Amino acid sequence: MKFTKDQMLKLYEELVHVRTMNNKIVEFIFSGRIAGAIHPSLGQEAIVAGLLYAYENHHQTVYRSFTHRQQAIMARSAGIDGFLAELMNRATGTLGGIAGEYHLVKIDKLMLPLSGVLGVTPPTATGFAWSLKLDGRKDAVVCCPFGDGMMSEGYVYEAMNIASIHKVPILFVIENNGMAMTTPLEWESPIEDLYLRGISAGMKGASVDGNDIEATVEALMEGLDQAGKCNPNVIELKTVRWEGHFVGDKQEVYRDLSFRDNLDKLDPVLRYEKVLLERGVANEDHFAKVKADQEKIMAEAFEKAASAPFPKKEDFLNPNIVYTNTDGLPIK
Amino acid sequence: MAEMTGTKAFNVAMKELMEKDDKILVLGEGVGRKGGTWGYFADLWTTYGNSRMIDTPIAEAGFSCVGNGLAYGGYRPVIEYMFADFSSLGFDAIVNQAAKARYNSNGELSLPITFIMPNSGGGKSGNQHSQSVEAWYSNAPGLKIVTPTTPGDVRRFLKAAILDDDPVVFMHARGMMFMSEEVDETDMSIPSLANAGKIVTEGKDLTIVSWHRMLPRCLEAAAEVTKETGKTIEVIDPRVLLPFDIDTVVKSVAKTGKAMVVHEAPARGGFGMQVSAMIGENCLKDLKAPVKRIGGYNTSIPFGVGEEYAYPQVEDIKVGIMELLK
Repeated sequence: MKFTKDQMLKLYEELVHVRTMNNKIVEFIFSGRIAGAIHPSLGQEAIVAGLLYAYENHHQTVYRSFTHRQQAIMARSAGIDGFLAELMNRATGTLGGIAGEYHLVKIDKLMLPLSGVLGVTPPTATGFAWSLKLDGRKDAVVCCPFGDGMMSEGYVYEAMNIASIHKVPILFVIENNGMAMTTPLEWESPIEDLYLRGISAGMKGASVDGNDIEATVEALMEGLDQAGKCNPNVIELKTVRWEGHFVGDKQEVYRDLSFRDNLDKLDPVLRYEKVLLERGVANEDHFAKVKADQEKIMAEAFEKAASAPFPKKEDFLNPNIVYTNTDGLPIK
Repeated sequence: MAEMTGTKAFNVAMKELMEKDDKILVLGEGVGRKGGTWGYFADLWTTYGNSRMIDTPIAEAGFSCVGNGLAYGGYRPVIEYMFADFSSLGFDAIVNQAAKARYNSNGELSLPITFIMPNSGGGKSGNQHSQSVEAWYSNAPGLKIVTPTTPGDVRRFLKAAILDDDPVVFMHARGMMFMSEEVDETDMSIPSLANAGKIVTEGKDLTIVSWHRMLPRCLEAAAEVTKETGKTIEVIDPRVLLPFDIDTVVKSVAKTGKAMVVHEAPARGGFGMQVSAMIGENCLKDLKAPVKRIGGYNTSIPFGVGEEYAYPQVEDIKVGIMELLK
């Protein structure tokens, strides 16, 4: 796949967009304006930006699951104002601030359910992809990204197996950042290439440098193309998690941090800047402008969300959101 | 009217439903060509094929969650576990996922999925194939629990469960499905899950709440006591545990002043605790004695010939009744 100049600039903008959102989330957590454990994708922006680009440029509608590091995709799917308000537990959120970031589900915005319990999204997304096939829909496909940590859940094996037997239109994306919460890859898997687990389920698969935005997009576009023809497949994107599992997690107690001496070499944003400079596609002034623009967009959006009210007690305790028919089922 | 077993009633209900609603799919081990381990889905594969009668790998966790995904996609899946005990592998899909689906959409969506759990002993199969697991699911708001006992009720309440727009755990007494009764096939009404309690026999001296294999034992014990003492016993089959029809029970206890709940699951932590507490909370002024609970022993269900030692017998129930009637 050869990218045009406009496409390269778009990819760069998406990278900066994701990085800026990550930084803003960290800023708002440390200033006490976002509660709960949130898991931004610092260092893994090429995967998030690559998925965003692939979703918006694939020829079919892409229903998507999420990892807990894909806030920028949640925001693009739900609308940034609604998503940020949901992230901050505000009544103006996509789901009234009731669900919270890591329980979101909004099918009409292509968002398949997130889950606070790991392992669930692959079989759920497989079932949803199956429904598309049963409906005879040729216009839609499912993408299900998850981390190397989730790869150890039995659910994932069962989902890949069922998806492959029934040839449902789904792409599994393994975001392999080498850390399962606090456990390094060597203690979570005896094999380094996790896409092989998909191969063993009879699917095609590949492993790609997930810090290379162009390689990531190429692999995802090909994977979605195949999935859309009911050839479920798996793409592993290798990357490195820079920070702790969640914002505030003191990773130095469980992790060798020597990789941080070479962050510039890993950094997907810097790496792509270098590529664009070498190709003469953009210069430092352009990079600075994109960063300033994104900072402005994010600062305004985050402030707006944070100024909204919280849901009321009766919104949280509404019996009609527990059951469709509440006859005989009072919540108190 | 037609004489039919519980198994036949289940099968008839499935045929009636699947004919009318092409969004209903069945997933489970052996539900396709074989027609289900227990015959509940006999002949359906011939009519509906692989796309609606889906033989799954032995992967309860995976196919439970796949079922949720199909429901998010607009289908009305029926998930069968062969033995209620096996639903433990699907537990997350049921209590963490299906039960929370509506809440996590802030009430925007419903997840119409039914989890079929063949409950109870009777097969001499030991402690991993014979349990009654109502209580496992009763503490997860978002779920409904439907527990019919007789063939006629299995037919009607299975339809109500599958047509309900919320996730439903459907439990029936596997060990009673060979028993038969006259069923009114022409009754196509769908019962409400609320107010589902049924007075099986009327009485004025004691109220018994019981379901599944303990229900006929209670009826037998009650009949013997009536014969010996002349005292009469009102036996109520709740048919649905969530939502529980407490009104029917309260009215009965207001009349009898005494209450007992009998089930097959271990008494400790069993759903009888909930029933007993509700009677206590609602009927304190009417009660002339503490509510009595009789359940299985708090032990593993023995394998083979020892099975029934762990379950309440007619004699145990009769002793309980006599104590309460003193």
